[in-house]
Amino acid sequence: MIEFLKRLLRTPQGAIGVTLVALVLVAVVLGPTLAPHDPEALSPLARYKGPSTAFWLGTDQYGRDIFSRLLIGARATVTMAVFATIVGTLIGAIVGTASAFMGGRADEFIMRTIDAVMSIPSLLFALLIVNLLGSSTINALVAVAIAFAPGMARITRSVALAVRKQDYVNAAIARGEGSSYIVMREMLPNVIAPIVVEMTIRVSFAVMLFATLSFLGLGAQPPAAEWGLMVSEARRYMHLSAGILIWPSAAIAIVAVGFNLLGDGLRDALNPRT
Amino acid sequence: MTDNTKNAVLDVRNYSLDYKTANGTFHALKDISLEIARGEILGLVGESGSGKTSLAWSIMRYLPGNARETSGKILLSGEDLAQKSSSEIENMRGKRISMVFQDPSTSLNPTLSLGSQLSEVLVRHRGLTRKQAWSEGEAMLARVGLKTPAAMMHRMPHEASGGEKQRVVIATAFACNPECIIFDEPTTALDVITSRQILDLFVELQAETGVASLYISHDLALVSRTAGRVAVIRRGELVEQGSVGEIFTTPRQDYTRELIAAVPDPRRRLVAGQVPTDAQPLVRVEDVSVHYGRKPFLAALTGRKHERVTGNRAVSLSVNQGEILGIVGESGSGKSTLAKAMTGLNPFEGKIWFDGRPITGLKDMNTVYRKDVQIIFQHPDASLNPRQRIGEILSRPLKLYGDAANLDQQIGDMLEQVRLPRTHASRYPHQLSGGEKQRVAIARAFASRPKLVICDEITSALDVSVQASIVQLLLELQKAGNTAYLFITHDLNLIRQIAHRIAVMYRGDLIEIAPADQIDSPQRADYTRRLLDAVPPPVGSAA
Repeated sequence: MIEFLKRLLRTPQGAIGVTLVALVLVAVVLGPTLAPHDPEALSPLARYKGPSTAFWLGTDQYGRDIFSRLLIGARATVTMAVFATIVGTLIGAIVGTASAFMGGRADEFIMRTIDAVMSIPSLLFALLIVNLLGSSTINALVAVAIAFAPGMARITRSVALAVRKQDYVNAAIARGEGSSYIVMREMLPNVIAPIVVEMTIRVSFAVMLFATLSFLGLGAQPPAAEWGLMVSEARRYMHLSAGILIWPSAAIAIVAVGFNLLGDGLRDALNPRT
Repeated sequence: MTDNTKNAVLDVRNYSLDYKTANGTFHALKDISLEIARGEILGLVGESGSGKTSLAWSIMRYLPGNARETSGKILLSGEDLAQKSSSEIENMRGKRISMVFQDPSTSLNPTLSLGSQLSEVLVRHRGLTRKQAWSEGEAMLARVGLKTPAAMMHRMPHEASGGEKQRVVIATAFACNPECIIFDEPTTALDVITSRQILDLFVELQAETGVASLYISHDLALVSRTAGRVAVIRRGELVEQGSVGEIFTTPRQDYTRELIAAVPDPRRRLVAGQVPTDAQPLVRVEDVSVHYGRKPFLAALTGRKHERVTGNRAVSLSVNQGEILGIVGESGSGKSTLAKAMTGLNPFEGKIWFDGRPITGLKDMNTVYRKDVQIIFQHPDASLNPRQRIGEILSRPLKLYGDAANLDQQIGDMLEQVRLPRTHASRYPHQLSGGEKQRVAIARAFASRPKLVICDEITSALDVSVQASIVQLLLELQKAGNTAYLFITHDLNLIRQIAHRIAVMYRGDLIEIAPADQIDSPQRADYTRRLLDAVPPPVGSAA
């Protein structure tokens, strides 16, 4: 484990990625205790303020402290994105591995269905699901998870096909193991490395997808401090103070870049040959 | 000695090579000194990981970035290769020194025709025009014994057989009359009969051109046939060097002696000669055929005829209780296909009688059958799940076939049965050596006390000395449990040592089954005799 971390930190992408993600995690865990102000406290006299010692990143259209709102909102934004990605990945990984294991007609059927689902852009697909289920945070999560599953299934299947040919899978079949044991215990652990890499990269997509959903008013609802929602609300006032728009956008960018770099670093670290 | 030094084409002096790895420095080669004179073949013998291939690449001046040359020189006709610039090296490769690789299917570019790959060398190094190079190439292919050189020049690599491709590679290596050629296990990837032909070709060309050859191999029997002198390498150090006669008849070092003793010799039988005969055989395979490929959906709709690939054609054989039946044949002869059919990994047509019970397909293979018939695969790396500990791997058969009480105790016993320490249960497969991994695979197969164990080339990925100990273990287990073996291999010398009867397969057909001690009698089928003739004679007799 220690050796793995060392390898991860040796590459520049890995080191920067780990730092950025650690920074975000601090905000997620300690956000509410670190926040200098109440994120929903209105101060009509201090609207559209620039950065100052009292308000580090300035205030928004209602005079709320942007820095505090970002710290509080990290929990909603990042946790949701990570959670949705994990759910989507799990579904995709199991479907992809099972499809590779079964092979033949079943494989064909599953993969063609997935192709059909994948032909719908993920944002449109998420919009469709949220519209069907109604707009709420949980539904947005479900939408993102389902939108991610087909892509993950595809990637997992391509890796699992190579694993399927390995003799340990043949050995398991020859000794009469059940299909679920072979898929879950013999095959899944061996396809995990590329999936973890893909997952970290997808977290950044999820953050942006969530932000987009909230921006369109289909995810979190005001006065939540969700970052996408903050950008959406700030849009109307950006001619009065650019900061309202810039800071939440920058926060989203940092998370996206951080997880992307972490994914790059993990790919190198999990593959000792490179 | 001084005379020899003067004539030496290739002279490696006190050469040492290190690799820098994440876990520190690895000494790949330590103080290697060897010389090859014009017209001489030096055999370099060693087990896997001994540094044979590292030496080949150092001579070719193609080392990975983490390699450090710590001492010594490599001289080609007196010129130090380490001093040369990279463009000089590029001019030298293929012209003055060339190499023949193990697997012709990967050493040829699949997107270029054989002719263009061969003539490229001639254009590059001998300054011929394309046209001249092409006709010169045809002449060369004729020289390496290809029947239709003109047609062969136009073929793509996938349109030629393994033996033909290796001939093209050899033609390329000899194309510019180099001073020195390195052969890195040139016949390991080929079938017995083909590799015999390639070997004869090599010896012939070598005598004709007088090129200095370094012949790298793990196969002592092969080296004893081709080389004039032999160098034995172990863990990066030269153990012993001398003429073939000296090394194989009066080896000075213990390691060389062990290595020679471990080579299978059909004259030294390891099992009692007679076939145990029962009224009813344990397994009877009756007209089992295997076809690959499924009918495409569209072809089924349109009623178009679809040709399936045949793996086995109506194979019938039987194995008695406690008998070792060897199956030999070239690659693609359907040996493994039969093993897979018998363990339910391939669908098959026909019938298998096991213990008096008929089995016609996958659905008849119940837990009792699975418990009684176990399979061990060729590569222990592939047959043990790298993400599971040895303990978990060994616990599966116990859980599946009942009797999961005292798991830890039983797993420890299983490990001891295959001469591994009990503590190995907490390790992962990659922490074990190749031989240890194969022992774990054997322990897993024997966990259910099976009546029949199918061994699919289980020793061919292992070094000779490890192979000898694995075979020893298998024979002990066989005696203890009166288990029957279906022992699939391409190593005729080995199978003649251990089998009661030998079945010979060729292109999906069973040619014949003969008692092991009568396999060399002149009444055998034509193919069997050709196969036996192609096998290099055991080491001692070569001298």
